[in-house]
Amino acid sequence: MIKFVIVFLLADIVLGSVAKQLFFSQKTGKYARTTHVVHDTKADIVVFGSSHAHRHYIPKVIDEELQSTCYNAGAEGQQLLYHTALLKMLVKRSTPKLIVLNIDENFLYTSKVAYDRLSDLHPYYDDYREELKPTLGLRSKLIDFKLFFKSYQANSTIMHVIRYYLSPQEDDHGYRPLFGKLNKNKIPKSKPEEVKEYQEFIDDNFVNALKDFIATSKSKQIKLVFVTSPTFYEVDNVTNKSFTMIREISKEEKVPLLNFFNHELFMNKPSLFHDYSHLNNDGALLFTKQVTNEIKKMKLLK
Amino acid sequence: MSTLVDYFVGHQLHKSAGQPGRKKWLWLSICFNLGLLGFFKYYNFFVASMQNALTSIGFEVENTWTLNIILPVGISFYTFQTLSYAIDIYKGKLKPTNNFIAFAAFVSFFPQLVAGPIERASNLLPQFLSKRNFSYQNFSYGIKLMIWGFFLKLVVADRAAIYVNAVYGNIENHEGLSFVAATILFAFQIYGDFAGYSLIAIGTAKLFSFDLMANFNRPYFAASISEFWSRWHISLSTWFRDYLYIPLGGNRVKKPRWLFNLFITFLISGLWHGANWTFVVWGALNGIYLICEALFLKKKRKGILNVFVTFVLINFSWIFFRAESIGDAFYMIKTIVTNPGRLYVGSGDDIAASLYAALAIGILVLIEVKKEYFDTLFTISNNRFELVRMLGYAMILFLILYFGVFGKGQFIYFQF
Repeated sequence: MIKFVIVFLLADIVLGSVAKQLFFSQKTGKYARTTHVVHDTKADIVVFGSSHAHRHYIPKVIDEELQSTCYNAGAEGQQLLYHTALLKMLVKRSTPKLIVLNIDENFLYTSKVAYDRLSDLHPYYDDYREELKPTLGLRSKLIDFKLFFKSYQANSTIMHVIRYYLSPQEDDHGYRPLFGKLNKNKIPKSKPEEVKEYQEFIDDNFVNALKDFIATSKSKQIKLVFVTSPTFYEVDNVTNKSFTMIREISKEEKVPLLNFFNHELFMNKPSLFHDYSHLNNDGALLFTKQVTNEIKKMKLLK
Repeated sequence: MSTLVDYFVGHQLHKSAGQPGRKKWLWLSICFNLGLLGFFKYYNFFVASMQNALTSIGFEVENTWTLNIILPVGISFYTFQTLSYAIDIYKGKLKPTNNFIAFAAFVSFFPQLVAGPIERASNLLPQFLSKRNFSYQNFSYGIKLMIWGFFLKLVVADRAAIYVNAVYGNIENHEGLSFVAATILFAFQIYGDFAGYSLIAIGTAKLFSFDLMANFNRPYFAASISEFWSRWHISLSTWFRDYLYIPLGGNRVKKPRWLFNLFITFLISGLWHGANWTFVVWGALNGIYLICEALFLKKKRKGILNVFVTFVLINFSWIFFRAESIGDAFYMIKTIVTNPGRLYVGSGDDIAASLYAALAIGILVLIEVKKEYFDTLFTISNNRFELVRMLGYAMILFLILYFGVFGKGQFIYFQF
């Protein structure tokens, strides 16, 4: 039995190390972008958030407008738990001057997939145990045992490695534009129902993650700004408990919130949207300029 | 309660051997056990079905009878296990035990309590009564079974489930080809899930030197439906054979009655799987398959073509098993025929999940083909070189850790 355990552990170390080596060798794709944030970027401004961040903020425009360097660390489908953990790994090595957190109004509503997708952070656990354990521990109490195995750290990553090796997914400092616009003849009068990845209950872990995100930034004297992205349809967030709480927290913590919901420049403008929730490249260009103008006005980089 | 009643009934049956009226003790056991099962599992189903039937003929009835009750875990399994104890004593095949603790342990033996294999008292109960010693060989074999079981569950079943759930959970947005692909994947999902659980249960029992019966024997290599049912969920198939089909007369009756016995056995087997008409239709369909085989196929079937035909027929029946409702199942079948359309592949992570599932199923099929047709060739599990054996199982563990789905997924058969 002991011999088998030794053989298995050796196999895990050898094969798991190969799998991790392959993982970290990626040049493009979502994992490569995360690795760049964790290992390499020295940008002055880093943008965090879900697909809205990833698709709406053009680093080159921010570079030009604010005379600083910018990297877009937005990650599709990821939420506050992930962003907070990513920020902690980033500030261990580098201290940006400004962090932009693109806020989704439902960020504080509980979501199973938000926990499931934390597995994207597993490959970093060996090097960032202290930063990641509080977050990954929310998903499993046995996280130390599970991530003891190198092959588990790289679980389910090989297809991404092969996919982006065969078909690289180019980005521009983390930004990937969406092209195409809404067909104005086929737009429903009211917003179509979406598949909800959340339930409308406030998740205390997500609230704590947001507070932790703010505290981490403050502890490193990093300026922080929250931004909400425009949507095609008018949104009424008066009854949205998640967004109400986010606004209260930003007020309490004195974090400026640039609210672009229902912004007249974007609302009901099909030429600026790829879908009802995401701006296309033209929309992203206009939005990024609006955000940088506001940041200039607030003199956050002075 | 089941344990107490059957322990008591067992003794009463034994004491009253040869006396008139002892049948009442058997009926007490049957009524009590099936009553509990019926109440917890089927009461709400029949109330809702009755209400729907009345509504469909124009009587609007307010439903105030359904109860907010939770199905006790494993009730379908331990009910059959305790029933077999009482029936075997009644038939004189078994003597009741005086050791209540051993009997209670037999009814609620933790590895197989929630999803089988459904053990017989004649096999499992004596093992509680005799002394067992730790055996390194048993322990090692148990671990091997568990490793393979976890591969089937975490890599094969749970990977396939991602595509299956995406399609079956959203049928209005998919076309015929996607339904075919999802159903084939479901065939492997349910096999990986249930055979995986069975192996984990058998392996866990083996660690303590208990022997549980085998529950699966590479069912998708069956060349006929009857052979399939001798390889799939063997503990349930043999239970129904011994305690329902044969008491009904089996095949030693006139042909119409024999065919009725086949049909009713599978109809009830379908209902056992769940309180939904989809399971009833699934059971009935398998009954019809067997009736057709009994009527039209005289020779024992063999060969790859028959294996393929059987696989297709079984897959067709899985549509009813997995669909949310009978209406959904017929909608899917109609769409497969009339609108094959395009195959749903999803994007990004969905494609990766499907590729992992295909890879896992590929590994499973290769290993099962080797075991089924070339078993005397190279072997890893019984290789004479210890290092080869260890490397083989280390590799399976690696595959589990590298490709497995580690969420909070349940075993499908936990719901039955």
